[in-house]
Amino acid sequence: MHIFRKAAVLGLIAGLGLSGAAALAADDPIATRQAIMSSVGAAAGLGGGMMKGEIAYSPAAGKAAIATAHAAALSFGDFFPAGSDQGDTGAAAPIWEDADGFAAELAKFQAATASAAQASGRSGPADIDAFKAAFGPVLGTCKSCHETYRKKN
Amino acid sequence: MKKAAIAIVMLVLAGAGVGWGLSAPTRISGSEAAALKEGDAARGELVFWAGGCASCHAAKGASGDDLLKLGGGLRLETPFGVFVAPNISPSTADGIGSWSLVDFANAMTHGTSPDGENLYPAFPYTSYARMSGADLGDLFAFLKSLPAVDGKAPPHELGFPFNIRRGLGLWKRLYLDPAPVIAAPAAGVEVDRTLWERGRYLVEGPGHCGECHTPRDLAGGLVLAQWLGGAPAPTGEGKIPNITPVENGFGSWSAADIAYYLESGFTPEYDSVGGEMVHVQENMARLPASDREAIAAYLKALPPVPTASD
Repeated sequence: MHIFRKAAVLGLIAGLGLSGAAALAADDPIATRQAIMSSVGAAAGLGGGMMKGEIAYSPAAGKAAIATAHAAALSFGDFFPAGSDQGDTGAAAPIWEDADGFAAELAKFQAATASAAQASGRSGPADIDAFKAAFGPVLGTCKSCHETYRKKN
Repeated sequence: MKKAAIAIVMLVLAGAGVGWGLSAPTRISGSEAAALKEGDAARGELVFWAGGCASCHAAKGASGDDLLKLGGGLRLETPFGVFVAPNISPSTADGIGSWSLVDFANAMTHGTSPDGENLYPAFPYTSYARMSGADLGDLFAFLKSLPAVDGKAPPHELGFPFNIRRGLGLWKRLYLDPAPVIAAPAAGVEVDRTLWERGRYLVEGPGHCGECHTPRDLAGGLVLAQWLGGAPAPTGEGKIPNITPVENGFGSWSAADIAYYLESGFTPEYDSVGGEMVHVQENMARLPASDREAIAAYLKALPPVPTASD
């Protein structure tokens, strides 16, 4: 009995915590999308560092960079609700004024990460050349979106 | 009384006369014109990318070979009104097909059209004025080799007084100066002088970096004391960054970081290039690596300008 109550309380706390996190994401889409994009930046830093030869290549690291970018590509677009152009954001007005154009850029990003994820397989691209072939096109999509849909800074 | 009135009228007329004289479009000198030679189109292609001609004169969103179709039409929405980039393809009817090399040099370095009109400085002749005659000759040869595009671009959409071209003559007297902006590398910065000079030429001349990265005064002239210190974006939202070596800012970029950014479009933190800089970076990526290193050397040796707070 005692144990059950404890479990219930713990479950309640966990549930509250989860709903709190969900509420946070919904309430603050700017913070959420910024966190997602910073994970892309980190993946690009890891991948780019390996491509430049500043970080030693390993298939596991290559897989991490690709998987991070892929997860971000699939989720990122869900955090631009109407009205979230206001606030501390680098998101530019054309995201909402030209929603189709923005969706097309997102689709390019998703297509590049999807083929990279496929090439990556279970254990990641075998060597740096395989990684470059998979991840290079992903990096190539950054600027075509940032050209129009991010504010200058 | 009558005498005073006459005197005032005469003074006004004299003032108007002086204003008319000062606003007259200027041209290159006879000896400068004589020294110009039609150049080499292959070398001119590099000048073309360095100068970023396609970024405004090709169709919006153009890539690949379409960057060489310079029919104009891009709209630059600025606080002064909308400037529409003209057709500079070799079309005789609608472009610059009938221009001579001297006409071209007058436009590039004096902002004066073949029929003697002042051109708007949305066309960055304030920077191009620093270009060498050899580069102008090579660039002209390259432009002549490109496909002719028919059709004139629509006119600019400007309100009074900016729609009076003659008045630009006065503006040019104030702001058009082909002298270098930066006389020497900042004290204490060790730099290869030849590399630095090449970087200065590219940044201050054809690259026309200052046109966006330097703030402007109310009349639209560059504030040279804050050279490359960052500015509000001339079109659209946001700010153009300070690219002088300031602490806690661009100063943390090494020369190799700058050259890599110009080649790849990635900052040291692996953020990507954005906005109009995408075109600029893709143009710079077409230059020899030594030119990107020269630009980096010049930027690292600039006097730091504090970033304006907003």
